[in-house]
Amino acid sequence: MRIILKPIVNSLNFIRTPRDLWRAWRGNIQLWANLFVIGWAVVFMLWQGAGFAVTVGTVFAIWAMLAVSLNLVVGFTGLLSVGHIGFFGIGAYSMAVLSSNPEYEQLRTEALTTFAWPFFAALPVCVLLSGVVALAVGVVFNRFRDDIYVLVSFGFAIIAFNVFLNARSLTRGAFGIHEIARPQIGGWTLNGELQFLLFVLAILAVVMLIAWIIVTSSFGRVLTAIREDEDAIEVFGYQATQYKLAIWVISAMIAGLAGGLFASWTSFIDPFSFILLESILLVSIVILGGLATIWGSLLGAMAFVLLEEGMRFLPFLPAEYIGQARQVVLGILLVLLMLFRPQGLVGKYKL
Amino acid sequence: MTIGYFRQAFVIALVVLVSIAVLACGSIGGGASSESFKIGVMESVTGPGETYGNVAVQAKQMAVDEINAAGGINGRMLELIVEDEKCNAQDAITAYRKLTDVDGVKIILGTSCSGAMLGAAPLAEEDGVVMFSGLATNPDIANAGDYIFRTSMSDAQRGIDTGNVLWSDSIRNLATITEATDYAEGVRRTSVEQFEKRGGKVVGTERYASDVTDFRSQLTKLIGESPDALHIAAQSEFTGGTIIKQARELGFNGPIYGEDVVVGATALEIAGDAATGVKAIIADLDPANSKAQEVLSNFMERYDYITLRWYLGSAYDDVYITAECLKQTDDDQDADGFRDCLYDITWSGTIGSNYSFDGNGEVVGLANVVVEILPPPDRSEDNLGYKVLGPAPSE
Repeated sequence: MRIILKPIVNSLNFIRTPRDLWRAWRGNIQLWANLFVIGWAVVFMLWQGAGFAVTVGTVFAIWAMLAVSLNLVVGFTGLLSVGHIGFFGIGAYSMAVLSSNPEYEQLRTEALTTFAWPFFAALPVCVLLSGVVALAVGVVFNRFRDDIYVLVSFGFAIIAFNVFLNARSLTRGAFGIHEIARPQIGGWTLNGELQFLLFVLAILAVVMLIAWIIVTSSFGRVLTAIREDEDAIEVFGYQATQYKLAIWVISAMIAGLAGGLFASWTSFIDPFSFILLESILLVSIVILGGLATIWGSLLGAMAFVLLEEGMRFLPFLPAEYIGQARQVVLGILLVLLMLFRPQGLVGKYKL
Repeated sequence: MTIGYFRQAFVIALVVLVSIAVLACGSIGGGASSESFKIGVMESVTGPGETYGNVAVQAKQMAVDEINAAGGINGRMLELIVEDEKCNAQDAITAYRKLTDVDGVKIILGTSCSGAMLGAAPLAEEDGVVMFSGLATNPDIANAGDYIFRTSMSDAQRGIDTGNVLWSDSIRNLATITEATDYAEGVRRTSVEQFEKRGGKVVGTERYASDVTDFRSQLTKLIGESPDALHIAAQSEFTGGTIIKQARELGFNGPIYGEDVVVGATALEIAGDAATGVKAIIADLDPANSKAQEVLSNFMERYDYITLRWYLGSAYDDVYITAECLKQTDDDQDADGFRDCLYDITWSGTIGSNYSFDGNGEVVGLANVVVEILPPPDRSEDNLGYKVLGPAPSE
């Protein structure tokens, strides 16, 4: 317990009075920029429509969870992985298979093994299964570095997608799985969108706390050292491979958790939510927010979801070409951001 | 240090500008006239289903412009609000929420992709919003709910027709190659079920992911089983055309069967001469239907291309059916009245005559046709490269 509390206490050491707090925050333009963006986002979304804001909020929370988990690997440890969507998918499919409604599935033409577990029984399995798979592939991945690491993680994303597509007796292939359970506490089901959003935000807060504890601990400092110079840290007697494996598994488990929540939220999943493109998108979110900053991942996810959903409000005439026009504008905005801010919104490092 | 601050200030300025722009545009977009009937449209205008989504949006916009030019519905204009569902469940849900919550529509035409339909359908069912698709063909949509309708024929219908055509063409041993997407899988599964029910035998089954470009090893394996015919269920025209070409290159001379995708313009261009004689069981417009011909020539005039004729017609008809029901209910917020109207309606339009909806919201009274691809010199924009042999035989 002391280990967990120590970094929190240390960071609060310098702030004893409200005036100190103000002094610490006054010069911090990044912080004000963040607060401004978030405040604007909330106002904008609520003004447009509360139900839509809640849906966008849930999308944001899930992507933020993924971005934070990926940042642990990419930002803090310096292992550029584009295979993270695979763990997200493993989590989602664990949830789907374990908790889908067997009565409903009986109606379907393709038989599927169903278990009808409640949400909270399935969620730990999502996390654990992602962790076990990550451990297995991580042992292999640890043999690689830098560019090769990108390629093998790329391969993992492709393999994962094809397993979802072709393991038909388990995943129902391209047809997808319906009626995935919503969280249930006692007799109370989290059916409402707002309830679910609050639930996901609570989990996001826990995830961020875990990530923050990891990166501020001595374990986190070793990870940063691995990113800076892996050979040097080994000279000091640290087993870099073990640290890399550990953070890889932790990160995958968080992604699995996000996957379980995602499946429960959409209540229908098919393999096309877990394509390589989504993984690239995730890496862009991490870079957009800033490498090696947890706060930045949150901000990156928010900026990205807002940009993407905000595009829906740009009026393009005629309506026939609305989709393409939005993609073009989104692309230009992202290019501009990378051009003027290559270290991301609040980051310190370039890739 | 000063440069750092300058950059930060720049980023803040950028964020402020973007936010003001989006905010301003949002208020302009939200200020549409309250006089018109507002209908939501959800199609995959980008993403894997974009060929379908764009045709659907364009056909619908054309129908709406015609209706408005003729004086609207009960003197009020019809207005479409288009959203992109990107062919996946997550974007379908956000698009659905935007339409129902921000724009306040109760009637949504769409979607293009079955996965998107199945993602948004539970929400529509819960909120009492009508979803009315002209393109989604997954058989599971039949049971998606009371508010879910479609004019597109289910893959189950397509499969039964395909199985019957195969059997009546004296095919006994079949090899199948299938793109692993919900649409193509649906076609393969239901075709094979009907074919096996009639007594046929499947000697080989291969599946491929959408981004594969070389099928030679899979085709060699299938041809090695010496089947009477090869059945292709593809979702992208590129892969459909490539498979036909590579199958003929590998020396397969037996008949090849497919559906919509293999007779698409891109597929024919890729396959070239190899496609000659390939048969397809497709949903196509009846050449004898004068209404259909009129719609096609209007579409050609307006957009200067034609593809996916039947889906174009289906999307077009959806708007007219919607207009007819709105004329009766005279309220775009009355989803229940609109739903009841759809259950009662019998419609004659572009895709067929006297068709209606059954208790599941599935269209009844439409049929698939069998077509044969013509040799390259005979292919033209008018015949789309094939001739219609007639309706698919029944059991």
